Amino acid sequence: MAKTILIADDSESIRAVVGFALREAGYDVIVANDGQHALDLLNQNDQVSLIVSDLNMPVKDGITFLKDVRSLDKFKYLPFIILTTESQETKKMEAKQSGATGWIIKPFVKEKLIAVIKKVIR
Amino acid sequence: MDQMKAIYIQEANELLENLEVSLLSLEDNPSDKSNIEQVFRVMHTLKGNSSMFGLAVIAEFVHDLETIYDKIRQGEMTLSKEILNTTLASFDHLNKIIVDSELQDPDNKKNHAELIQRIHALIHVEGVVPTPTKVEEVAKSDVLTLDGKNRTIHISFEPDETFLLDGSNPLLLIIEITQFGKSIVVPHIKPVEDILTFDPTKCLTSWDIFLETDVPISQIQDVFVFAEMSASISVSEYPCVELISNETFNKKVSELVQSESLISVEMISQLVKELGIAIETSNTTEISESEKIEIHSFDEVKIDEVKPDVPVANSPLVKEKVVSSIRVSSDKLDELMNLVSELVTTQASLTLYNQKNETPELEIISENIEKLSRRLRDIAFGMTLVPINNMFGRFQRLVRDVSLALNKEVQFVTEGGETELDKSIIETLTDPLMHIIRNSLDHGLELPETREKLGKPRKGTVKLKAFYSGISVYIQIIDDGKGIDAEVIREKAISKGFMKPDDVLTDKEIFDFIFYPGFSTAAVVTDISGRGVGMDVVKRNITELKGAILVESKVNVGTTLTIKLPLSLSIIDGLLVDVANVNYIIPLSVVDKCYEVENRQMMNNFNELLVLDDKQVPFINIRKEFGYQPLSGSEKSQIIVVSDAERKVGISVDHIVGEYQAVVKPIGKYYKNQDFISGATILGDGSIALVMDSHKIIDLYTEHVKYDMKS
Repeated sequence: MAKTILIADDSESIRAVVGFALREAGYDVIVANDGQHALDLLNQNDQVSLIVSDLNMPVKDGITFLKDVRSLDKFKYLPFIILTTESQETKKMEAKQSGATGWIIKPFVKEKLIAVIKKVIR
Repeated sequence: MDQMKAIYIQEANELLENLEVSLLSLEDNPSDKSNIEQVFRVMHTLKGNSSMFGLAVIAEFVHDLETIYDKIRQGEMTLSKEILNTTLASFDHLNKIIVDSELQDPDNKKNHAELIQRIHALIHVEGVVPTPTKVEEVAKSDVLTLDGKNRTIHISFEPDETFLLDGSNPLLLIIEITQFGKSIVVPHIKPVEDILTFDPTKCLTSWDIFLETDVPISQIQDVFVFAEMSASISVSEYPCVELISNETFNKKVSELVQSESLISVEMISQLVKELGIAIETSNTTEISESEKIEIHSFDEVKIDEVKPDVPVANSPLVKEKVVSSIRVSSDKLDELMNLVSELVTTQASLTLYNQKNETPELEIISENIEKLSRRLRDIAFGMTLVPINNMFGRFQRLVRDVSLALNKEVQFVTEGGETELDKSIIETLTDPLMHIIRNSLDHGLELPETREKLGKPRKGTVKLKAFYSGISVYIQIIDDGKGIDAEVIREKAISKGFMKPDDVLTDKEIFDFIFYPGFSTAAVVTDISGRGVGMDVVKRNITELKGAILVESKVNVGTTLTIKLPLSLSIIDGLLVDVANVNYIIPLSVVDKCYEVENRQMMNNFNELLVLDDKQVPFINIRKEFGYQPLSGSEKSQIIVVSDAERKVGISVDHIVGEYQAVVKPIGKYYKNQDFISGATILGDGSIALVMDSHKIIDLYTEHVKYDMKS
């Protein structure tokens, strides 16, 4: 059974590229435009094995989304990867302290994305 | 990937559109935090996308811009006019290089360099050094080759108790490590003190991993990149030693595992030192105990007990894609509209057939199909309609640039941006509207000083307003400038020979001259507008859309241009009439009222005016115009009064058949030079009805009147 990954990014291009790469790697993909949309989808769908989320998003940013996810008992330990162009340590630290499992720094190549995903889910 | 690139370009264009809107409102209100945030966010997304698609030139460029707005956002810089101008110039440049990301156009290249300098200058003014972008390829692993020679690496991996809380799975990291080569994994499990108070979310396991590999150490450290912050990890390297293959080492390790919970680096170093000698003298080493060696491989360890309960449901997985909107090519939409209109026509013949045959079953089916096709029509129409807002954004920029060039102070107000219009209409409308707005700014609004003298506010107002009325959409461009002087137009019209000096025309008729080809009232022709080639083209464009345009103006108060447009081009609600047994359709949107008159009222008529409801209404006798035999005086005719934005004209027909939903088809190029018919539609019985072009009829009639007055 293919695992489902939820992608949250306000950029359609990123959603398309990441979605394409993940589908190719055999995952099922759900996409959301922003943190709130992602949270709604997550609540509707209990098959999500991993969240890949951008940090800078309208409506609800990635860190807030992450905190919301962690505050729900059901998703307390759900692997959560931050997708961001912020290469600064501060953002990564903030994300990690808020409960992020890992991060991917844009730009990335498909192989790198899959490698990071493999670190987090089997 | 080309498809991906297309998505990128499309999104980039959308982002740039957003950016423009935000920038322009920032200009009006430079301290608006939310707009700065928005600008920053858009740039950030654009940068991210560009770098993802390997467009380093764009990404770097946007990065520098973004730096400025990041500083503004953080309060380290203030938004100046200079910054805004540079940003807008950069915005224009970005629009170009989105499709020329390699800067192959020399102009783009030159611009690019100049803008980067300007941006850097801005950043430097504020004493901020631009940080280089990280758009280089993902760092390649250190090019450290060991000539295929293995060495042993010892990794001590001790996660914090909270390690599992963020969904990290240490086993996956260990699996990754063990794929690098031959390995021994030694788990250490801390004792559980009380099973009743045991917290399964705590990570109580740590690992010692021995790895015989030739991969660079950085690659191994990279495995733990997410774990660094919540675990203590040490990696030590023992070059040129293949420990795992060494029996003595294996034995030593198993002893250590049994005696102590953790293997320290010192211990291993010690061991290696000892073994350094041992390896050399390995000939004498006994291997009898080898079968006793017990290595805990991670497979045997029951870590599942402390593994967090990650909710992964096992119900059958439905592939689900959530899409809030999709992009459809306009060709497909046009085809859909076409099919819907065919369906409407087919459904009309079904209804007609049913009326003749009166089969109850068929009637039910026919009524259902009618309902369905109507809904389908509405939905299809809904898809082709787009809010006029999209277009308004572009004008904001135009107003800004033009008013800057003219040294005028202008407030641009838009109203009714949510009004929806057919996308093809919006496309055709952009240029005429741009021209009108340019005209308002150039010829309409006065200079700030002049305005003050007149007791008007320094800032002139140009208002763009859109609203529905019936099945038409009105767009108004209202300015509070100097207005159009009817007397000036009149004189000019006389000098150009458009009218005679003794003609008596209303102000509205006089204003109409500005739409005549070759008519320009501007004393000085400027770059911005006014070479007398504009307004006639504007009118022609709008007429092509079956719309009408009307000017109202008062000297020193302002000018209002009203454009009236039909909601959709291809399917109209019409009034089906017949003249001499030929069917015609008159668009219902223009029909004002219907009257019945005796024919002799029209026959004994010299000025072609009828008195209807105590008002004089000019009329056109279709029988006369189309060369049919006139009806006898005692027979009755129907007068259908149609009106455009202002004028009213009666059209005489024999009978009114009723309302009809008409799918308007073009009638071909051989008929394009006539003025009465704008299209044709197929009726339920397969016969054809011609669609009257009411606006052209009204125009034609007005000319007719003028001709009369001249002669």
